[in-house]
Amino acid sequence: MNLNEELKKIIVKDLFLEDITWDQIEDDAPLFGEGLGLDSLDAVELVVIIQKHFNVEIKDMDEGRVAFQSINSLASFIRERQTS
Amino acid sequence: MTEKPQARQWTSRSIGSTFQHNIFYVLIRTGGWRLAYFILHFVVLYYILFRPAVRKRCSYYLSRRFPAEKSFRRLVSSYRLSLELGKILIDRAVVGILGVDRIKASFNDREILLDLISEGKGVIFLMAHVGSWQVALSALHFLKIPVNMVIHREEGDIDRHYFEHQSMEWPYRVIDPEGFLGGTLEMMEALKKGEALCIMGDRIFGNLKNALGVRFLGENALFPFSAMKIASTSGAPVVVLFPYKAGATGYGLKLAKVIRVPAGQGRSGEQFLPYLEEYVRALEKFTMEYPFQFFNFYDMWKTPYVN
Repeated sequence: MNLNEELKKIIVKDLFLEDITWDQIEDDAPLFGEGLGLDSLDAVELVVIIQKHFNVEIKDMDEGRVAFQSINSLASFIRERQTS
Repeated sequence: MTEKPQARQWTSRSIGSTFQHNIFYVLIRTGGWRLAYFILHFVVLYYILFRPAVRKRCSYYLSRRFPAEKSFRRLVSSYRLSLELGKILIDRAVVGILGVDRIKASFNDREILLDLISEGKGVIFLMAHVGSWQVALSALHFLKIPVNMVIHREEGDIDRHYFEHQSMEWPYRVIDPEGFLGGTLEMMEALKKGEALCIMGDRIFGNLKNALGVRFLGENALFPFSAMKIASTSGAPVVVLFPYKAGATGYGLKLAKVIRVPAGQGRSGEQFLPYLEEYVRALEKFTMEYPFQFFNFYDMWKTPYVN
């Protein structure tokens, strides 16, 4: 399972998304607002989820701004942090 | 990527002009708070008698708090409510112009707060638009941890915070709830560092789905559950704090409740309802004790419901 796929499955399961399955999430669709439709309170949960599953900390707003664009950007962020 | 505000029906803008505000600042400088209070009585009377819009703004809350009141009594209550707000704005300016020692702010539950902070998960101060939070926060100077205030200031808002009168350093860091992702990442960051986060729990920002209907003063009103969600995720305790004006130059800070929200509450807001209820019951109790210190001048009961 590649990282993008793993992320989608985790997001659907841990954020209790009911109207969408993991394979319906597009890699480059925005996570927040239009796109996957997550909101600001989901961001709070997502920070914790990423830390729990990947041991990667999203420390502040600047990092969140980069990481939380799409599944692709989140996967890149995690890869980068895990290798550094 | 900021969420579009969909629920905000209130405004933080003053009804007075810059000129009117400046007159009061001059009165405070020349005659102190007593002169400013004296003039305030007439100004408020003018607004209540000749500005129907002001009476209307008072009526949303007063009609729920005092449902049996008839027209003259309602007029008197509108006057008292507006007068209290005016006094609080004057006190805020007094602190800024004449110095923080002009107003005494007391807080009796110091040990409880220190214990909660020593848990190291940060602390969420869940407040409301009651009393003067700015003056009352000065009663928390013993905390020795940075305080982050979640507030949004509208463009054109001419009300000055007390420290803006003398170009003082801001005593707290501001997190704008209309910023990126509603400022939630900054809030989490602050709590992670063990800092204090002050959130107003009685007004909604952003998406309506982050609010729940709770019975308040006899009718359903919408309250945001974001503070409960953040508490659940971060493990920080929620401390319900209400500042109140106690006498001419005194303020108190009431620790009304400590709410613990367990982790893993899920995405839907329903799970947060019991915790939100605790907050709203505490707020209701406050309005019973201090009926003229609740300052939400919009119809918080007439928001479209999501639950």
